[in-house]
Amino acid sequence: MLAFIIRRLLTTVLVMAIVAAFIFLLLHLSPGDPAAIIVGDNATQIQIDAVRKQLGLDDPLALQFVRWLLGVCRGDLGISIFSHEPVVKLITQRIEPTLSLATTTLLLAVTIAVSFGVIAAWRVGTWVDRVVMVLSVVSFSVPVFVVGYLLIYLFSIKLGWLPVQGYAPLTQGLIVWVRHLILPSIALGLAYVALIARITRTAMLDVLSEDYIRTARAKGVATGPVLMKHALKNAGVPIVTVIGIGVALLIGGVVITETVFNIPGVGRLVVDAISQRDYPIIQGVTLIFSGVYVIVNLLVDLSYAALDPRIRY
Amino acid sequence: MTTSRRTFVKGSAATAAAASAPGLLRAQTAPSAARTLRVVLHGDLKIFDPIWTTANMTGNHGLLIYDTLFGMDDKRIPQPQMVDKWGVSDDKLTYTFTLRDGLKFHDGQAVTSADVVASVRRWAARDGAAQHLFKRVADTPIKDDKTFQIVLRERYGLVLDALGKLETNLPVIMRKLDAETDPNQQVTTKVGSGPFIFNETESRSGQRYVYDKNGAYVPRKEAATGIAGGKIAKVDRVIIDNMADEQTAVAALKAGEIDFYEVPPIDLLDQLEGDKNIRLAVLNEGGNVGMCRLNWLHPPFDKVEARQAMLYLIKQDDILKAVFGNPKYYRTCGSLFGCTGLMQSDVNTDWFKAGQNIPKARELFQRAGYDGRPVVILQATNIAFMNNASLLVAQWLKEAGVNAELAASDWGAVVTRRAVKKPVAEGGWNIFITWGSGEGFDNPIGFVAHTANGEAGWFGWPKDDLHEKLRDDWAMATSLDERKAIARKLQENAWNYVPMALLGQWAPPVAMRANVSGFIPIPAHVPFWNVEKA
Repeated sequence: MLAFIIRRLLTTVLVMAIVAAFIFLLLHLSPGDPAAIIVGDNATQIQIDAVRKQLGLDDPLALQFVRWLLGVCRGDLGISIFSHEPVVKLITQRIEPTLSLATTTLLLAVTIAVSFGVIAAWRVGTWVDRVVMVLSVVSFSVPVFVVGYLLIYLFSIKLGWLPVQGYAPLTQGLIVWVRHLILPSIALGLAYVALIARITRTAMLDVLSEDYIRTARAKGVATGPVLMKHALKNAGVPIVTVIGIGVALLIGGVVITETVFNIPGVGRLVVDAISQRDYPIIQGVTLIFSGVYVIVNLLVDLSYAALDPRIRY
Repeated sequence: MTTSRRTFVKGSAATAAAASAPGLLRAQTAPSAARTLRVVLHGDLKIFDPIWTTANMTGNHGLLIYDTLFGMDDKRIPQPQMVDKWGVSDDKLTYTFTLRDGLKFHDGQAVTSADVVASVRRWAARDGAAQHLFKRVADTPIKDDKTFQIVLRERYGLVLDALGKLETNLPVIMRKLDAETDPNQQVTTKVGSGPFIFNETESRSGQRYVYDKNGAYVPRKEAATGIAGGKIAKVDRVIIDNMADEQTAVAALKAGEIDFYEVPPIDLLDQLEGDKNIRLAVLNEGGNVGMCRLNWLHPPFDKVEARQAMLYLIKQDDILKAVFGNPKYYRTCGSLFGCTGLMQSDVNTDWFKAGQNIPKARELFQRAGYDGRPVVILQATNIAFMNNASLLVAQWLKEAGVNAELAASDWGAVVTRRAVKKPVAEGGWNIFITWGSGEGFDNPIGFVAHTANGEAGWFGWPKDDLHEKLRDDWAMATSLDERKAIARKLQENAWNYVPMALLGQWAPPVAMRANVSGFIPIPAHVPFWNVEKA
């Protein structure tokens, strides 16, 4: 197991190095000039060129890449072209809202989705099953921002129950923290719920048709333990797999959700950076997101061993 | 160990109270909501140096925390602001200024002549209007802590106008320590002497920028007008929120989570007008003027006939209607200086009065020897005005027999490509669309798009020696009437050689909660002194 973990971590480093090179080239070769954006529309070419030189943007591409890569190896993701603040500091300032949103969404989505999936499989073919499946299709089809706007209209403007936008850190109090996360978590989590619910239902249906489930029922085991103890655990591998894959959906969705609900997270940071060509921020955040995704998939793989004792690394 | 229900409930209540306590405590130290103004402006605040950049967001920041020697009033007359007394010698070459009493920076240091001179010199290294002035400045001697001079080599009529200009780069006064920063580097400190103090602790880059009332600021006694007069802070705190999503900002305004929104989307104005808790107002009558920049370096617009063709090609009303919808918020305009300022006139605008004439445009393109080569329009698809105008201009060009091609990208890419001076086939361009403020257009010296000094000038690189001479004459003029007369000559000449084509003028409203009042209408910026909440 330890050797497996070490091998995967080394692979993570390799993946991140490839991502780093790819994103660096993509950014620097695509059109757009951060120097021109910084100095404003009425600046002259001389002023723009001076800023480019000052920022090192007219150095050879290879030199710029090596300079950045050496910094990354030291834990320094560079300095924001616009705000002159270290990228690490900016990400650190923004990580709490993103983690809060991702965590609450994940907990909410997994709890609801797995429950719905189990119920749909238990009541397969009935109106309960059909309602769950229709809701899944609708949830997956409606874009995050549309759901967001509808939730804001209903719960914030019409009913006045919840805030429209913003984020309150946990240090400001648990209740206000939760109030600011309810609507974004629902908006972001809906597609995730749909995906997990459908996979849970399918995996449960496979398992519920197995002989050992029939044996358990014949022995008089109640429905609850049959579903939750015998069936769900055995259906766990594909469910956990799709939860892990869905983290990519979550990362992408976080970007949109943070914009719609004005949450000052890492997603907003990178969206703003893209429109302004703030290369160090885009590079740094992409690198971190890719690392997170790879680590999540490693954790998913490791969880298989916990779910299925037959799996050993 | 077993836990009773009572114990569980008591424990939960205690946990909730403990969890909420920090929020309650913090609420007691920040100004109340009634004394806090929350605003959403047109962009994010990335640069904090109003001398270094022309970005208007930085101009807004600059007006909050800095002060200026002079300020334009609502009649565009420069009024003393930090200056108490001033005079000019009989030969009009030496200007002497004395600062007001009680001027202090936010760190407690008194504002002195040394700070002023250093700031003005730094500004002169960055700003076009200042550079035009400083070509004629011999020296800026300091007489004492409160008295300094600007000594000219030749007479110049715009000294005070330059020192009080509204447009970025703003002539703000910084501490000498900050002002001595290399003009090509940004000043990242935020210490001024203005009516508000930047709260570094509460601010978060990309999220919110917090400004607290400067209790030590000594406002002038006159009523506030333009950026002149008494800058009295009537709220304790101003928070500029960065909200990228327009729909969310509108929802936040309706819910009362913000008090002011600078750029409500045009298609949602009806909805806002119907809300009794919200008021719309046009703060900036001059708004913006759209321009179609033509590349003088390459065919076809290296020929004057082709440029003249553009005057007959463009139908401003169609562009403005497509973007802004409601004619309440836009106007067509044939004046080189926009249609709301002091320099406007209808000299040499028969082409405008006659309206669109595609056959005439076609004839002019033929006279220019247009050979059918592609005419590339840089189309910024992420900005509604630029996107729609590009589409319409392309269509009209095709109707006039021109092989128009749209090069679609975002604005960031347009900004890069417009700097390319090579031919189209090598990555160049023929047309790009942008805009300038109505205030900027009204100033032949301060506005970079009014230069006609060829490749040393602004994108498009128009060249006309008479235009440049008339600009110099305008700057030397010593009365408003004289400047207006020269402006008429500038326009007469301009619509003959055609530096660019204009696309109309618009002034959309801002939106605010009905209990907010006191916004002073000025062009280009949003000042927050004088604003209060009922």
